[in-house]
Amino acid sequence: MEEPRMIHLENISKEYDGVTVLDDINLYIRKKEFVTLLGPSGCGKTTTLRIIGGFEYPSTGRVMFEGKDITNLPPYKRRVNTVFQKYALFPHLNVYDNIAFGLKLKKMSRAEIGKRVDKMLNLVNMAGYGKRSVDSLSGGQQQRIAIARSLVNEPEVLLLDEPLGALDLKLRKEMQLELKSMQQQLGITFLYVTHDQEEALTMSDTIVVMNAGHILQIGTPKKIYDEPENAFVANFIGESNIIRGIMIRDELVNFSGVDFPCVDAGFGENAPVDVVVRPEDIVIVGEDIGQLTGTVKSVLFKGVHYEMMIESGDFTWKVHSTSMQPAGSRVGLSIVPFNIHIMHPMKEAGK
Amino acid sequence: MKQFFKKCYLAIILIFLYVPIIVLIAQSFNAGKSRAKWEGLSLHWYSELFSNVSIMNALWVTVSVAVIATIVATILGTLAAIGIYSMKRRPQAFMMTVTNLPNTMPDIVTGVSLMLLYIFAKVERGYFTMVLAHITFDVPYVVLSVLPKLKQMNKHTYEAALDLGATPAYALSHVIIPECKQGIVTGALLAFTLSLDDFTISYFTTSPLVQNLSTLIYSATKLGISPVYYALSSLMFVVLLVLLLIVNHRTADNKD
Amino acid sequence: MIDLTLPAWAGWAMGVGLILFVLLVVLSVRRNHGVKRSLFAAPYTLWMFIFTLLPCVLIAYYALTDANGCFTLDNFRSFWDSNHIMRENLRAMGGDEMAATVARGSVNVDTLVYSLWMAFLCTAISLVLGYPAALFMADRKMKLGATLVVLFIIPMWMNFLLRTIAWMSLLEDNGLINAFLEWIGIGRKQLMYNQQAVLLGMVYNFLPFMVFPIYTSLSKLDPKLGEAAQDLGCNELRTLYKVTMPLSLPGVISGITMVFMPSVTTFFIPRVLGGGNTRMFGDLIESTFKTAGNWNLGSALSLIMMVLILISLSILRKADPNGEGGGIV
Repeated sequence: MEEPRMIHLENISKEYDGVTVLDDINLYIRKKEFVTLLGPSGCGKTTTLRIIGGFEYPSTGRVMFEGKDITNLPPYKRRVNTVFQKYALFPHLNVYDNIAFGLKLKKMSRAEIGKRVDKMLNLVNMAGYGKRSVDSLSGGQQQRIAIARSLVNEPEVLLLDEPLGALDLKLRKEMQLELKSMQQQLGITFLYVTHDQEEALTMSDTIVVMNAGHILQIGTPKKIYDEPENAFVANFIGESNIIRGIMIRDELVNFSGVDFPCVDAGFGENAPVDVVVRPEDIVIVGEDIGQLTGTVKSVLFKGVHYEMMIESGDFTWKVHSTSMQPAGSRVGLSIVPFNIHIMHPMKEAGK
Repeated sequence: MKQFFKKCYLAIILIFLYVPIIVLIAQSFNAGKSRAKWEGLSLHWYSELFSNVSIMNALWVTVSVAVIATIVATILGTLAAIGIYSMKRRPQAFMMTVTNLPNTMPDIVTGVSLMLLYIFAKVERGYFTMVLAHITFDVPYVVLSVLPKLKQMNKHTYEAALDLGATPAYALSHVIIPECKQGIVTGALLAFTLSLDDFTISYFTTSPLVQNLSTLIYSATKLGISPVYYALSSLMFVVLLVLLLIVNHRTADNKD
Repeated sequence: MIDLTLPAWAGWAMGVGLILFVLLVVLSVRRNHGVKRSLFAAPYTLWMFIFTLLPCVLIAYYALTDANGCFTLDNFRSFWDSNHIMRENLRAMGGDEMAATVARGSVNVDTLVYSLWMAFLCTAISLVLGYPAALFMADRKMKLGATLVVLFIIPMWMNFLLRTIAWMSLLEDNGLINAFLEWIGIGRKQLMYNQQAVLLGMVYNFLPFMVFPIYTSLSKLDPKLGEAAQDLGCNELRTLYKVTMPLSLPGVISGITMVFMPSVTTFFIPRVLGGGNTRMFGDLIESTFKTAGNWNLGSALSLIMMVLILISLSILRKADPNGEGGGIV
């Protein structure tokens, strides 16, 4: 059963001193959903989050929360909480008082506050740290406290603004899993902002890819990865080979001077298109049996696989393979129809 | 050897700085009135100090002006720092120039310009005009001490408080002000010391009927200064020294 | 003891200021968004406008008018040529020959040049004495930095007038130094009421202002820089003037500013230790206002000094493009 919509952004635009940062954003978030806003820095994802949090007000458009217009409601009257970039813990308060900050404002009894704070400290694996000063904590610990400080208020929606950006890689991976399990356990809606595509793919139910103030694509991680709607998305989500081609007719595309059977249809005949092929989807075969032939220009060992740059005609393909071909050798390349993804040539795609 | 030379050099500079002060304190215990001749140890000048009406009056003026000016300047300056911090770039740059202006103006020009203001506004100079002048030269120092603390703060701290349900007023009094407390205290202390020690600006902004210690000493030098003043400043010096030790001791305790 | 009742104008001014402030706040409350925080600076802005900017304008106004409030450049002419009014008065009375005998030239200009020279000497001496002091204080091997800073601050708590007067007891004809000189057989000397005494008093009072900024910029330096220089083959002396000194330039510049400015304008030190034999520009401004009561000429003199200081500050800023005491990144 579909969960009801919690937050609905309707035609949101935002300008700063005449510069458009968000251009007609439409987006809804369902209850208990884990939604990620993904895009390069400056794409408007943080501004979108801040508009929902109440720290910015849109130039035009409405923010709806469970069907009610909250566009002009100040942050302290909204039932959402934010985990800020670099945490924004209050340095003059200890861990306990940081977490209790919101509860004290709700005029809760001391005993009740104590109970809830302890529960939260347990949840984020920080039991016993209540009396510590926040400056004495490591980055990862501060992160946990920042999450606890927000979650203790039992928000309907938790907004997270690049919460793991300041952590090192290993810690980040751990926290990703923990956050995801916390979200499932508590059943809270998460709206997560990141520029890290891998993070987005790992954690989200829905990914919203943004660039230059527009939403380019909304979909599940799998759909976004496998069927990017345009070259930008394809490029941003994982590494890709993107090449211009001509759609001869349905299920047949021509690029690099060769006709390839594919599975996409509906682009018309002899229409210019962008073709996406993931590096791991290109198979290296004997020179004589490949659909394309090329010369290996360089080889890099990447841990699990080799990354080879293979020049064929005037295009250089990036190929991932577990078997290595030495630089300078001639190879054949073949791609199965299912792995060729056809897109409309680069233009803004809305929802 | 090199370290020894460095220490010697510093010691000589410090002796240079301390000799007049030691001389002054010594003279305050001199029984005679002469600056040159030692006529025996005595607390004569200290006892005379407390019965000297004009000195006690000037002491009261100095301290009360410093206290009032510090309180007003601290409030005004802290609010101003918060305001300037949240301004956009251009007005912020303008406000910083205005704030730095009194720093680049010599005391005498500040004093003279304020005197002209009072003359122009046909205000009789006295206690109140002196307080206004002191607030004026104190505020920029408060602003300049608080502002760096605000800039060090995580820029989302205020928003975090609102996010957790605090109204802007609550966020200000429970988060922002406690977080720049150190800057506020530094600014207030600076303002207080500057106020206590000021001569030039007070000299131009008060009337001869309302004297603070500095202006009183200045008028006394014309007649030949009495060792009572030495007793007074030695006493103030010791009080400040003790205060410093207490403050230092307490901050050292807090760090543990 | 003191009459603390406010003059009526002050009450009015406060009332108007308060109403303005409240109005601004009310106007700025946009929908539910709360008070715009930049408005917290409004009372301060108002204050600075009335008590800093307006007085500056008034100085310019008085400098450009005569006693009757009419526009004139006479005050500046008096600066260049102190006796021009006397000469004109004589001419007006028909005493052309007498007027011709009235000396041209200006006491004011002489005083200004002399003050600048004294301030320059004081700044130079403070720099020469203060730089090594700051350098040794910042020496990490000494582990004394913070204590020494306090030791340099403490003397400044003694009232500055009295500290200067204390030098009188030392320098007087029958003062301590002369007593000492006599005792070792050199004999008494005239130490007070001359240029050296004034200079001594100035250096004594302003030296800490040179030491602090230099110390601050030196102690912020990364000790690895010195190590790197030595690693690259500089000996200690070369490291000092190739690395440490250039990097402490911002501190030196703010030190120079902080010593030079009060030096040009001091009027108490020359009066006490110079005994009226040396007249400095601050002295001149003070007596023009207080003794002669000539606000117009006094304003012109103040204006000239302010302009000179602003010019020298901007030259100094050029030498330190990173801004006053700003660390080099």
